[in-house]
Amino acid sequence: MRILTVAEMALREISRRRGVLILLALLPLAFYYSRRGEAYWQSVRFVSLGIGWTLSTAALFAGNAARTIEPRLRLSGYATHELYLGRLAALWTVGLTLIVPYFLLIRLDLDVRYGAVALILLLTVAVAAPFGLALSALLPRELEGMLVLLTVVAMQMMLDPETTVAHALPFWFSREIGTYAIENPADPHLMTRGTIHATITLAVLISMVAITSTIRLRRRPHMSLAAQ
Amino acid sequence: MTVDDWLAAFAAELRRRRVDPAALVAEAATHLRDSGRAPLQVFGPPAAYAVTLVDSLRGATAELRRAPSGEPRLEATKIIKRYGRSTVLHGVDLRVHAGETVAIIGANGSGKSTLLRICAGLISPDSGHVRIRGTLGYCPQDGGTADFLTADEHFVLVGAGRGSSRTEARAQGRTAAAALDWPRPGTSGVARQLSGGTRQKLNLVLAGLGDPDVLLLDEPYQGFDNGSYLDFWQQVWRWRDAGKAVVVVTHRLGELDRADAVLDLTPGSPR
Repeated sequence: MRILTVAEMALREISRRRGVLILLALLPLAFYYSRRGEAYWQSVRFVSLGIGWTLSTAALFAGNAARTIEPRLRLSGYATHELYLGRLAALWTVGLTLIVPYFLLIRLDLDVRYGAVALILLLTVAVAAPFGLALSALLPRELEGMLVLLTVVAMQMMLDPETTVAHALPFWFSREIGTYAIENPADPHLMTRGTIHATITLAVLISMVAITSTIRLRRRPHMSLAAQ
Repeated sequence: MTVDDWLAAFAAELRRRRVDPAALVAEAATHLRDSGRAPLQVFGPPAAYAVTLVDSLRGATAELRRAPSGEPRLEATKIIKRYGRSTVLHGVDLRVHAGETVAIIGANGSGKSTLLRICAGLISPDSGHVRIRGTLGYCPQDGGTADFLTADEHFVLVGAGRGSSRTEARAQGRTAAAALDWPRPGTSGVARQLSGGTRQKLNLVLAGLGDPDVLLLDEPYQGFDNGSYLDFWQQVWRWRDAGKAVVVVTHRLGELDRADAVLDLTPGSPR
C-alpha cells in the first residue's frame, strides 16, 4: 500500500532529525515539572499541552519539508490523500511512541484517574499531528507557523477556559478531561464535553489538511492527460 | 598514468561523446607503441585529446539531430503567463514528438522554467492548454528531493508511485545513477549530504524512474562536472532513442546541436 510507503519514508525522515527527537522527548517533561510542585493537578494538563506543542511543531516542519517533493510524487502517480494520510500516520506513530513514557511517569508519580490520562494523551496526539500539518499548509514559512503555534499554546495556558475563544482552541479538551482525571468526585460531563471537543477538532483539522492538500496538488484545468 | 590507463580513459571520453572508440583507440595505441613515449607527453590528458578529436570529426555527430517522426506526446498551445503586470509567456506553442529532444533557451526571466512547470501541470497559465500523451517525468532546477532520505529511499518512494516494487525501483535507480557516473548511490548518505551536482543527478534519476513517456528537464545539469554533463546528454539520447519525448531547458547555447529542435523564448526571437 502506497500510504504505508509514504508513512515509512516520513518516519525515516523524522527519525534522522536527532535534535528534533530529543526536544520532542524532553520538552513535555519541562512542562510537567513546571507544575509538579504546588499545583501538581495541573501537571497532567501541562504535559499534554507540551506533547501537543512539540508534536505540532514536528508536523509543521514535516509538512514544510514535504512541499518540494510532493508535486513530484503526485506526478509519479500518488493520489493526494495517500500523501497526507501517509504523513499523518507517521506523525501519529511518533506521537504514540512519545506518550508511552509520559503515561508511565504519571502512573508512577500521581494518584489520578489513569484511564482519563490515557485518553487525554491519545487525543492530544490525534489532534496535534493534523494541527501542525494544517498550519504548514496555511503558513508555508516555518517562522510564521512557529509563532502561531506559540500563540495558541500560550493562549491555551492563560485564557479563562470558560470563554468562547478558549473553546475554539484545539487543545481545550485537555482541560476538561484533565479536570475529570483529578477531581473527586468527578463530573462525567467533563469527559463527554472533552471527547466531543477533541472529535470535532480532529475532524475539522483533518478536513483542512485534506482540502489544502487537494487544492495545492490538484490537476490543473489546462492539463489534458491521455494514456499512451 | 600507464598507457593502458590512458587508453581506457580516452575510450571512455570518446564514448561519452558518442564516438565509437575502437578505431581511434587502436590508432593511438599503435602510435604510442611505435613512439615508446608516455601518452601524456604525446597526446596530453585523455579528455582534452578526445575533445580535440571529436571537434575535428564534428561531421560524425551531425547525425544526432533528427526530424520528428513519432506521434506528438506533448502539445502546449498558446500559453500565456503573467506575473502581475508583466507578461512572461506570450502565446507560446511547443510540440514534442516521441523520439524527439527539444531544447528551450532564452535569457534569464524569459519564462523557460515557467513554461516547463506549466507543461508539468505544477502551475496554471493565464490561458492556453497542454496535452500530454503518456506518463510524465519532471526534473526541477532545484528541490524535488527530501533532505533526510537516502538515494535508495528516494528510488523506493518515487518508484512506488509508478507501481514498481522496492527491488525494481532500487535496481532501476542504481542503474540510471551509474550511467551518470554515480556508481554507488546506495552508500552516499542522505540527500542533504550530497554535493550540488550529485543531488541533481538524484533529481534526474528520479525523473526517469518508471520509464515515463515525456521527460521535462529544467537545467538538470547544475553542478555537473564536464564528464557528467556529457553523460547527461548520453542519457537524453538514450531516452530519445527509446521513443521518449524529452524537453531540456538549457542556457548553454553552444550545445544546441545536441537537441533536435530549439524553442527560443528570448523576447523578439523567431518561434
